[in-house]
Amino acid sequence: MATLHIVRQSAFSSNDFFQCLQIVTDNDVIVFIDDGCYNLQHSLINSIDTNKNIQLKVIEQHANARAIAINEAVFTKVSMGDLVSLTFENSRVITWQ
Amino acid sequence: MYRLESKTVNKLSVMITTPPYNNLSVTALNYVETALKAGVELIGVFFYQDGVMHANTNTQVASDEFQVLSHWQRLHQEYKLPLHLCITAAEKRGISDEQSTQNIHPIFTVSGLGELVELSTTADRMVQF
Amino acid sequence: MTKAAVKTLAILNAKAPYSNTAGKDALDIALIFGSFEQSVSLFFQGDGVCQLISNQDGAIISVKDYLKTFSAFEFYDIENVYACKASLEERSLLASFHIKEVQVLSRKDFADKLTLHHTILRF
Repeated sequence: MATLHIVRQSAFSSNDFFQCLQIVTDNDVIVFIDDGCYNLQHSLINSIDTNKNIQLKVIEQHANARAIAINEAVFTKVSMGDLVSLTFENSRVITWQ
Repeated sequence: MYRLESKTVNKLSVMITTPPYNNLSVTALNYVETALKAGVELIGVFFYQDGVMHANTNTQVASDEFQVLSHWQRLHQEYKLPLHLCITAAEKRGISDEQSTQNIHPIFTVSGLGELVELSTTADRMVQF
Repeated sequence: MTKAAVKTLAILNAKAPYSNTAGKDALDIALIFGSFEQSVSLFFQGDGVCQLISNQDGAIISVKDYLKTFSAFEFYDIENVYACKASLEERSLLASFHIKEVQVLSRKDFADKLTLHHTILRF
């Protein structure tokens, strides 16, 4: 089973999201929360290999609070309840903070 | 409200390493409370690094700001949620259970890293905030 | 998963050693797990690889040098120590380490090893 990656930092100020992408594996799930939501506009998003079937999700409240537009063709809006659920649907969790 | 469907893989532990004065802690609290309401068996929260500052009774928060400690208190009471404080990390930050300088809120259990071993080996998932 | 399934811990080190205590805080966890005879593996990625480089001397800048404790890993049965090759190359660092256990892994092998673990904590 896959890994859940919780990304909490903006890649414009930290290297965390870059490092996450270095080790992301097929069928993993990435959830952007807190300042991680700023990554929705970062060019690193375009570097993700679409063949890997990586799911990109964002906590809607956290993006809304920051006036970050969510491109729903790329990112799925999720709630905190979904994040709890994803914790158990995936085999392990890595928090990038 | 979301309810957890699987009851077999359901034990969670949480490690908190971020200080109470920034918004990252609100997220952590929100996650913990959502998990508890969903029926997840949250076996304990372990406070490490700057996370230990959550336990400091001397912290002053302006009355119109988010009162993190009172929320921990509420969750502790409503769900009997164990809150473990790494005492080594706490003492480095001026938080102590010595009688003369006692400033640890009573909802916290004075613990050490051995407790982290217990939490991580007992839980199905450990999540760091 | 059976009840007896062994739960293993991976610690992912991402910070350079001296300007903050992340590396020391991570090491303390590794040693406790080791002394409780729990499986723990150490991964070094990003600036974390700097914790492994030889010839450093924290004493010059008044750091109590926790890196020296790495040489005690064998007494704690900590045998799995992995460094990310790409992180070393990005920083023009040679694979010259102050402990012998380090295995340098490609991006893919590093990810594969990491995701063998049940719990992952990152410092």
